[in-house]
Amino acid sequence: MGVAGIVTETIPKILDPLPGGRHLVNGIEFIVGWARANSLWPLVYGTACCAMEMMATGASRHDWARFGVEVARATPRQADLIVLAGTIVEKMGNNLVTLYQQMPGPKYVIAMGSCSISGGPFYYDSYSIVRGGDRLIPVDVYVPGCPPRPEALLYGIMHLQKLIRKEGRHNPWKVKEFETPPCIDIHSNSKKEWVEIETQKQAGMTTARERFKAENPDYVPYKAVRRPKDKFPEVPRRPVVQSGLANQDIYAIVHEVFPEVKQVKQENTDAENDKKLTSETLLEFAVTKDHYLSLLTLLKTHATLQMDLLLQVTAIDQHDFFHILVHLLSTRHGHKIFVRCPVAGEQPEIETLSHLYRGAEWHEREVYDLFGIIFRGHPDLRRLFLKEDFPGHPLRKNFKDPSRIVKRPY
Amino acid sequence: MEINHLQAPPGFTDTAAAEATTEEYYLNMGPQHPGTHGVLRLVLRLDGENVQEVVPHLGYVHRAIEKMAENQTYLQNIHLTDRLDYLSSFMNNLGLCMAIEKGLGIGVPERGEYIRVMLCELQRIQSHLLWWGVLGMDMGAVTAFLYGFKEREMITDIFEEVCGNRLTMNFFRPGGSSADVPDTFLPRVATVIERLKRALDEYQTLLTDNIIFQERTRGIGVLSREKALSYGCTGPVLRGSGVQYDGRKNNPYSIYERFDFEVPVGQGGDSFDRYLVRMEEMAQSIKIVQQAMETFPTGPYRSKEFSKYRIPTGSYFSQVETARGLLGIYMVADGTAKPYRLKYRSPSFSNLSAINEMAVGYKIADLITIISTLDLVIPDIDR
Repeated sequence: MGVAGIVTETIPKILDPLPGGRHLVNGIEFIVGWARANSLWPLVYGTACCAMEMMATGASRHDWARFGVEVARATPRQADLIVLAGTIVEKMGNNLVTLYQQMPGPKYVIAMGSCSISGGPFYYDSYSIVRGGDRLIPVDVYVPGCPPRPEALLYGIMHLQKLIRKEGRHNPWKVKEFETPPCIDIHSNSKKEWVEIETQKQAGMTTARERFKAENPDYVPYKAVRRPKDKFPEVPRRPVVQSGLANQDIYAIVHEVFPEVKQVKQENTDAENDKKLTSETLLEFAVTKDHYLSLLTLLKTHATLQMDLLLQVTAIDQHDFFHILVHLLSTRHGHKIFVRCPVAGEQPEIETLSHLYRGAEWHEREVYDLFGIIFRGHPDLRRLFLKEDFPGHPLRKNFKDPSRIVKRPY
Repeated sequence: MEINHLQAPPGFTDTAAAEATTEEYYLNMGPQHPGTHGVLRLVLRLDGENVQEVVPHLGYVHRAIEKMAENQTYLQNIHLTDRLDYLSSFMNNLGLCMAIEKGLGIGVPERGEYIRVMLCELQRIQSHLLWWGVLGMDMGAVTAFLYGFKEREMITDIFEEVCGNRLTMNFFRPGGSSADVPDTFLPRVATVIERLKRALDEYQTLLTDNIIFQERTRGIGVLSREKALSYGCTGPVLRGSGVQYDGRKNNPYSIYERFDFEVPVGQGGDSFDRYLVRMEEMAQSIKIVQQAMETFPTGPYRSKEFSKYRIPTGSYFSQVETARGLLGIYMVADGTAKPYRLKYRSPSFSNLSAINEMAVGYKIADLITIISTLDLVIPDIDR
């Protein structure tokens, strides 16, 4: 139990039944609460944007050490406060629960930012988000904002300190029951409270307005004038600075070796007429599966083109087939080339590029994860972002998972 | 005196076994680890303290931004780009806005372009300041963290005055920006620039010239030129390895071709080179902001607004050089108000993929420095 346990549990238990002992217990609890509130040790836990504001709160200007929140700990075993700074996704959820369980009591949680309050900007249409930290662990203080300012976080901490000081004997260690489902319904409860407060406020305001009218009969209310909307001129687009080889030249080089490779039909280009290729046009080659690897090998090894950097490999779901999209850049010259290759079927397959560009390995794993396209000859084809047991491939247009996705109502 | 570890120094009666066998083991690092800058998880194969192999595991903050993009209008997507790489949110906004401008043929007035360039360059400095402070803290120099944030807060104040937010800006719109800069903008920038110049000298003496710092970064985490290109690294990581590629110089966008600035390039591709490249980039950004301040024009800050942004069928690409590297935005439009597919090519993703090449053969403590000099933003990797 330790010294702290003797002070907060054993001594009050003995003193409480004695006549006048309650006052002594209150005194001890006041001192313990005061000490606890002013020496919070937060866990360094930041997942996304809010972590930057949490760092700013700890840094030179805002300096949370002024409130006793100084010793930021990297291990949960030494901390007693988690600031949930950032989005919590499904994959991170278990880890967060483990972190909370590893913390010794008494422990406190501040939900910082709208993501950890309710999912925030990622509430709708996202298949991987946990909509609120309170679905996993009990939260004491909510700090709204996206992200909240450091002052807001400091206010939240001060509010938490107030709560800690008020903690009484009935729950000295404040270890909440973890097996019971945590307070998921907190939002609808607070909504009911909110409505109640609003009705009271409205009633009060109505009487106040009537009284004001009775007292000042000559009052003319101020009429707001709407500022006229700004009129902006129409500005012509500046010509694009073309860097590297001209689009026609690249097209000619490729067309010489692969006569059947064509520019993807765009709104402003004709597939048959390469003379319409301007500097504004995106140079996209449509290639079949048979020529896919040989075309990319040519682009990489060609002495004039020098496509030495692979920017991305991705896919586009075209409902009945997929387009594999490879995007190359020449760091020497600055020109870019896109290659599109259609693949079809329930389990579409295509050759890997990881022997040409090492960076393709991760891009292809991402495509496999999110689209379910298999890359033949890939050294390590595993899911990249999602859990191994995630059902389906979410970036496919026909992906449906009502248990994960909340559809946007507008 | 040099000690050969396999030969007994004088005085020892027993000799160490010449062929002492060691056993390799696996160690999990993250996703809850202060050195991984967020929720990155690395699994290491170690021989004693030496790193033999690093396998990163991603997805601990995968928020499905690309899926959400398909159900939102183009303008609704701008605020999501803030949350990709929150330290370069102006640049991310700019990337998406330029893609929309390409689709609809919208031009940007002079003042709008100047606002864009100045805010982007200020944010590059701001992002590098944070990286500098955190790099110091990862190596045990907490002073650097406090110093870096001091100047960073001053730039943040300017952003707050311009667009009302400190981190996630959501400020640029197709054709310019959502509001004009206030009258106090230029004087405040001038003050901050003066302050920053002095601060950069201070940083030089505080960290760059520090012998402990140099010992821990020189010759550590070497990434060769060929490897950097093969893994698709961009930004300071690629330039630290000796490739002179900067999206602002080689594929100029906005009005970057009008400004006179240099692209710093490293020699050996070690942690110290990446450090020096970023430090020099801050000086170059100051140079760009100063030039822009001299010729800051008056006039409209935005071109004509559209009531509905319906982009004609086709695919559009725009790229910006963020503080971390090349952010590419590939947009497939189908003529409706929502994109059919929106792909963000994020720089940190490719930069991280090369970590195995950099970390093998060094100590775990060096791995922390290497991660720090990569300047990773995990939501940018996971999207």
